[in-house]
Amino acid sequence: MIQTVVYGLTIGAILYFFSVGLALTFGTMHIINFAHGMVYTLGVYLFITFLQGVGQSFLLALAASLLAMLPVAWVIERFVIRRLYGESLDYAIIATYGVLLIGTDAIKMIWGTTPYPVNDPVGIAVPLAGMDLPVYRIAVVLSAFALYGALRAFFRRSLVGRVVTAALEDADGVRCLGIDVDRHFSIVFVLGSALAVLGGVLYAPISTADPYMGFHILLLAFAVVIVGGMGNLNGTFFAALALGMVMAVTGRFWSQAANAMVFVVMALVILLRPKEAH
Amino acid sequence: MTFMPERAAFSVQPAARGALLREIALLAAGLLLLALVIRVHWMADFAVFFILVLSFDLLYGYMGHLSFGHMLYFGAGAYGAALWLVYGNASAWAALAVGLAAAAGMAALLGGVVLRTRGASFALINMAFNEIGHFLVQSPLAAYTLGEDGLSCTADPLFGAISLYEDRWAFAFCGAVLLAVYALLRLLTRSPFGLLVRSIRENESRVRFLGYDTFRFKWIAFVIASTIAALAGGLFTLVQGFVSPRVISPFGNVDVIFAVLIGGAGSLAGALIGAAAFLAIKNFLPVIIPELSRLLDVKLPQWELWLGVVLLLIVFSLRGGIVGTVQARLRNRKPAGEAQ
Repeated sequence: MIQTVVYGLTIGAILYFFSVGLALTFGTMHIINFAHGMVYTLGVYLFITFLQGVGQSFLLALAASLLAMLPVAWVIERFVIRRLYGESLDYAIIATYGVLLIGTDAIKMIWGTTPYPVNDPVGIAVPLAGMDLPVYRIAVVLSAFALYGALRAFFRRSLVGRVVTAALEDADGVRCLGIDVDRHFSIVFVLGSALAVLGGVLYAPISTADPYMGFHILLLAFAVVIVGGMGNLNGTFFAALALGMVMAVTGRFWSQAANAMVFVVMALVILLRPKEAH
Repeated sequence: MTFMPERAAFSVQPAARGALLREIALLAAGLLLLALVIRVHWMADFAVFFILVLSFDLLYGYMGHLSFGHMLYFGAGAYGAALWLVYGNASAWAALAVGLAAAAGMAALLGGVVLRTRGASFALINMAFNEIGHFLVQSPLAAYTLGEDGLSCTADPLFGAISLYEDRWAFAFCGAVLLAVYALLRLLTRSPFGLLVRSIRENESRVRFLGYDTFRFKWIAFVIASTIAALAGGLFTLVQGFVSPRVISPFGNVDVIFAVLIGGAGSLAGALIGAAAFLAIKNFLPVIIPELSRLLDVKLPQWELWLGVVLLLIVFSLRGGIVGTVQARLRNRKPAGEAQ
């Protein structure tokens, strides 16, 4: 029972790390950003490569891969996402999916298609209620809560955060005040990408790294963004944890149904939601 | 007297009829030419993909509803036919009919639900249902569908003589169905109904304001598009004699969406050209690239990367796909030639 809860919270935490960036792009620009999956996957592969370079130090490799992904995210924002501003939904999907395909293929070329396992960096388990609970998973869950608090502070206190919060409500209104929304947004986009990389790296020891890992989490993260209210950052957090729990609880009784149940919940939410958001 | 716009004549202009015959002939000639260039073995599969892409063009190109779940109906048609062949009898016609009926029923039911949304929600709720369908086939219904292992099935020859497991007959049959589907969609999109569907794409509120029950028209178009997709699925089963959960996988949607966009959404010719271009990228690049890389002695990326490049090109410079770009070029040239 406790194991199921911790597992659900872990999955939810990873989904939250990934979905923040997706929700931000959706909330401000109404873009379904498939390229997010590419950033996530590439970050994990860079992490695995760096891990060998820095003598298996998890934190050093994590920092290095985050730093390496910042320019990549900036390039995607500057040359793809920004040019899609005001475009229809479908063109944004095509362009970002193109980026995802290019990235996935480049990864397959460089690292091959065999999945890479990553060791649990903590490797300690605490006995709890008769079961062994990996400390690493608890750390992942706690870091998601810490991130939630930090992001709340960022979006309420900092200038960039407040501009973006306002732009999520009404981008044109903010622009009318003479504020360059796009410039602020690009900072937040890079931040969201970094969080996706962080989520990917944290998830790697629990699963394995393969070139298509970005595709799989994208589908689940769409559900998180929809259930969380499309660009609502608080909603994204609770939706991620709730859907993580849905997956864990379903998986406990019927492992193959875990993913499908997420989509059942998503369909129900879309149907029962009082007003069409977009 | 009340004005009843929905009763407006569903007439076809006499001039259009000759044009339709010409287009059908052109399409048939194009198919035969293609069959000469590549192996006939592939042609039935290509025709099936063409039908699927045409059906998606009605939903997306004409009505402006981007769906990530069209493969659900393709898969329903494929599995409906396969299940009939395995547990019913070996009649190909009955199998097709069962597949169509299953998909049409599902589309009629789900259409009432998904069409209450639009934009991103519409795209993603369809994906959700597609994912659920994929799961149902894979796991809970595995007793009948055999899950990941897939289902083998054989159909009796059509009219007791035409075996669909012979490449030429398979191509002839699927090609004929493709021509019929093209004719049907061509008539439909040029009819007042087609005009209404296109108007819904442009501005649904205004269409509603004119007194039309837009939901009903959207629902009809959705059911038609889904049923034609199921027809493609049923043909797939008959020709292949094998279905696996891959035919209903949501990842297949991407192929269809891109085929429509590469050619140019909102035109039947565009959908067909796009489907051909997409199949060329998908089937020939994996053959050409290893040859080329051996010739140049460098490691070249696989076809997915090139598809990604094509997609970025479409969005950033070739808006409107192949057909749209060519049309725009022609339109720009015309004023110079026709200067009065």
